[in-house]
Parts: sequence; C-alpha cells; structure tokens
Amino acid sequence: MIGLFLAAMRFQAQVVRREPDYLMSLVTIPLLTVAFLAIMGNAGRADLAPYAVMGAALMTIWATALFVSGELIDADRWEGTLEGVLAAPAPYQVAYLGRIATVTMISFLGLVESALIAWLVFGVTFPVPHAGLLVLTLACTAFSMVGTASIMAPLFVLARSARIFQNSLSYPFYLLGGTVVPVVLLPEWLRPVSNAIFLSWASDLLRDCLRAEEPVAAPARLGVIVGLGVLGFGIGHLLTRAVFKRVRENGSVGFA
Amino acid sequence: MTTAAVRVRGLTREFTRRRAQPRLALDAVDLVVEEGEVHGLLGPNGAGKTTLCKILSTVLLPTSGTALVNGFDVVRETKQVRQGIGIVFGGERGLYTRLTARQNLMYWSALYQQPTRMAKAQVAELLERMGLLERADDAVETFSRGMKQRLHLARGLIGDPRTLLLDEPTVGMDPVAARDFRSLVAELRGEGRSILITTHDMAEAESVCDKVSLIDGGKVIGTESPRTIGGWMSKYERVRAQGVPDEVLARLRALPGVSEVRVENDDEVLVSVDAEGAAARVLRTLVDAGVSAVSTSRPSLEEVYLHVIGDRGLAVR
Repeated sequence: MIGLFLAAMRFQAQVVRREPDYLMSLVTIPLLTVAFLAIMGNAGRADLAPYAVMGAALMTIWATALFVSGELIDADRWEGTLEGVLAAPAPYQVAYLGRIATVTMISFLGLVESALIAWLVFGVTFPVPHAGLLVLTLACTAFSMVGTASIMAPLFVLARSARIFQNSLSYPFYLLGGTVVPVVLLPEWLRPVSNAIFLSWASDLLRDCLRAEEPVAAPARLGVIVGLGVLGFGIGHLLTRAVFKRVRENGSVGFA
Repeated sequence: MTTAAVRVRGLTREFTRRRAQPRLALDAVDLVVEEGEVHGLLGPNGAGKTTLCKILSTVLLPTSGTALVNGFDVVRETKQVRQGIGIVFGGERGLYTRLTARQNLMYWSALYQQPTRMAKAQVAELLERMGLLERADDAVETFSRGMKQRLHLARGLIGDPRTLLLDEPTVGMDPVAARDFRSLVAELRGEGRSILITTHDMAEAESVCDKVSLIDGGKVIGTESPRTIGGWMSKYERVRAQGVPDEVLARLRALPGVSEVRVENDDEVLVSVDAEGAAARVLRTLVDAGVSAVSTSRPSLEEVYLHVIGDRGLAVR
C-alpha cells in the first residue's frame, strides 16, 4: 500500500514536470502577494505584511487543491486512463491520494515564493517567533488539505458543470477559511460555518505563529485541523467509492 | 463444470439516458472462452463488443446475467478478476501521453502492485518485446499510432495476466504492425494465456483465433471456426472491372454463383458473388474477354452478415 502511494506520488511529480500548466497557481501568487502588500502598505498597516504573505500562500494552496487535485479523476476520465486505473487490482483511492499529496506538497512552495516576493519587491522580512509550531501547523495543514482534496476529486466527476462548481468553491472558501481576513472579523453568524472548515483553524494558527505572543491552545487547535482532515479523508473515501460505483453503473467511466 | 477463462450467461446491458429511449447494448449474451484459447468476437461497430469487454474488465456493471473471468464473478469478486486480467482498449486514448513509455508502464506496474525492482525489469522486458526500447524515454505524444497501440499491449501484459481482453487492438496499425501483432498473439497463446479479442476485421479473426463468435445488435449470432470465416470471405468476394463490353456483362450475369452485376460510374462494373469459386469464374471470364482493369475486394462484415443471417433465415439466437 505504501509502495503504491509512493509510486503514485512519484508519478504525479513526473506529470507536473511534463505539464507545467499544473503550476499555474504558482505563477499567479506573486501578483496576489504584491497586491495585498501594496494595499496594506498604502493603508499604513505595514505590520500586516506577514498576513499578506500567508494569505496569498493559503489562497494558492486552496486554489491548487480545487483546480488541480480536484480534477485528477476527471482528467483521467477525459484521457481515457480511468478505465485502466479502475480495472487494475490496486486500490485506486490510494493511488489518487498519492497523486493529491504531490500536488499539495508542490502548492506549499507558494509560501516560500510569496515570502521571497515580499522581500524582493517590498524589502519585507518578518521574524517567525514560533518556527517549530509553524512547521508543525504547515504539516497538519498539508495533511488536511489532502483529505479535503480527496472529497473534491470525486465530487467534480459528479458535477455536470464542474468548472462553475469549482469557481463557486474558491472565493467563498478564501473568505470562510480566513485566508486573508481573520475569521473573528467576519459577521458572527458566519463563524459556525467557518469553524467547520479546517482552513480557518489553520489560517488562524499560522498567523499566530508569526506573532510574538504565545499561541493559545495550540495543541487543541492542531487537533481540530487534523481531525477535520481525517473527516475529509473519510468522506473522500466514501464519496470516491460511491462515485466509482455510479460511473460503473451508468457506463460513464470513460467518455469514449 | 471446468473453469473457463470467460463464462458469460444471459448477460444484458441496457443504457438509460435522459429523455431518450433506453439502448440495449447486450441482449442475453452467452459466451465461453476456454482456457488457453484465442477467441474472437467479430462484429461491426456498435455491435456490443466493447460493452462486453468493459463488463468483463469490471469497469461496467451488467444490467442482468452473470459473467465469470477465471472463475470469479465480475460484480461480486472484482479484486480477484482484476488480478487475473490484462486489458487493451484500442484507440489513441488510455495513456498518459505527455509522459514517456517507461513512466507510463512503471505507473501501471504500481497499479498492478508490482514491487519496484521487479517492475523495472518487467517494464524493460516488455518494452523490448514490443520493439519500443529505443523510444522508451520519449514522450508518448511523439509516438505513431501503431507505437501507441504496442504500448497499450505492453500495458496489458503487466502483472503477467492469465487472461487478456483485447478490444480492437489493431485499430490504427499499419499492415506490418498488424502482422507483428498477430505473431505476438500466437506467442501469447503459446504461453498458455487465454485471449478474448474483439475485432471487425474478418481477416484478423481468421488468422489469430481458435474460435470466432459473431456478434451484432448486442446478440451473439453464433460461434464459428476461423476456417468458416475465411470461407465467407472468399465466397462473398467482389470483383470490380472497367471497360467491360455489354455482351461480357450478359455472360457474367449468367455465371453460376453471381448474385449481382451492377454498373457504377458509367464505366465501372461491380460483380458480387455468393458461392465458392464464383469469383474465380468471373475473373477468368473477364480476362478471357480482354478486360485488364480488374480488381477483387473482400466483402465488408455487414455484407457477410447480411448473407449469413439471410441464409439462416434470421436464425438469430
């Protein structure tokens, strides 16, 4: 099982190397970073620069999950490779999780890229007072992002207008996930929805890692991020099984 | 009951679509492919061949009936079925075209749960066997159609399957590649594998199969020996000629076994026959009359079906 997961990760890395369009979100992240930093600078809130960097990166990570990981199964369907994957003896869920893991790992390069842009364009650098916790939070965020993307991939196979569906999951989730604007600043009635999204917990904790004060209840918050990720894996697993059963029933495994 | 490679009983598949009549792709199909046999499924486009292959490879569920592959049920025992089969779906699709041939096969090996070291060795062996070793590290999108088809075949052999399902495997192959493919099928049979091959090419069915089942409109019409298929091809051969004088046309019409003499495009004559040896008699008559622009062609599958089903009084079972 681990062998298959690693082979699928390696395979996806080969795909990304051969198809640079998978990296499109890493091309747009400098624009986001520059825009956020410019707005915050002009508003006289240079102290928010770390938030701008983190926000641009989190938006990129979410967009990659949505538009790249989310399309892996459907892309296989269009290429005519899904039939072969489904007819192979290996558990296809593991293969897709491996591929999603690679995409997610690559999307985290957006954080490095965003920080570099901030430094190169605006000369902004910022200390990381809780570096250990930051790394741990990033790892937990990556884990949960893979789990969440595993829901999207089968979901977009079901959607008749997947592209519209994807777009509708981008900006609302940037907002509800607190990627740029902390959830506490949102209207109160939105908070329960935000709390059900792992990204909002991850965004808050990541920002807290950049502040001098000790983050409050960090282990519990990490637990929530991981817990919601595990929930994502569970839902993704069930949904993938259901979707594959459905396409086998209605004869839409391939488009040929 | 001995374990056949494929045993299909009463297999039916209906496709339902929104605001359209349901389409019956397979209608109570019965079929047995014995172990070690190369069994052809011969039928025109839309006959139900691909639907049957998809059901046997577990990517499509039947509406009713049963199908066993290597003794395992394709609905209830998918894992065991998948472990014992190799599939080749014809056409250009089904490969990761931006990746190299080797990268494709290594991924498929992982999906067949081959340990990496073993996979590397097997992939190299398959690439060599398919004549693709020199291009192993080139992107598949740069391959010719025939090369892609050979890569499909290599993929089908990953995991060393007992039973192979080849769905129109020679589509797009040039005649040389198709001939090489036929030798490969003979080799695979020599290795004791069972093969179900779908095709609409009668010559292919005749040359590679031990048995041929005829399928049309989702029904298996019957199972014949390849020799019978070959007989049909010569029996229903067509002769084309140009510059045939009127009196020769009359002589052709009077020949035994000539079913139709049709003048097309002013000068071109198409002679259809429906008896063994009739084509030879037509050719001799034309040559004796000094007509030199003569060619023969094989009948289409549809024409043969029309003759065969007609001869049997539409005894479709």
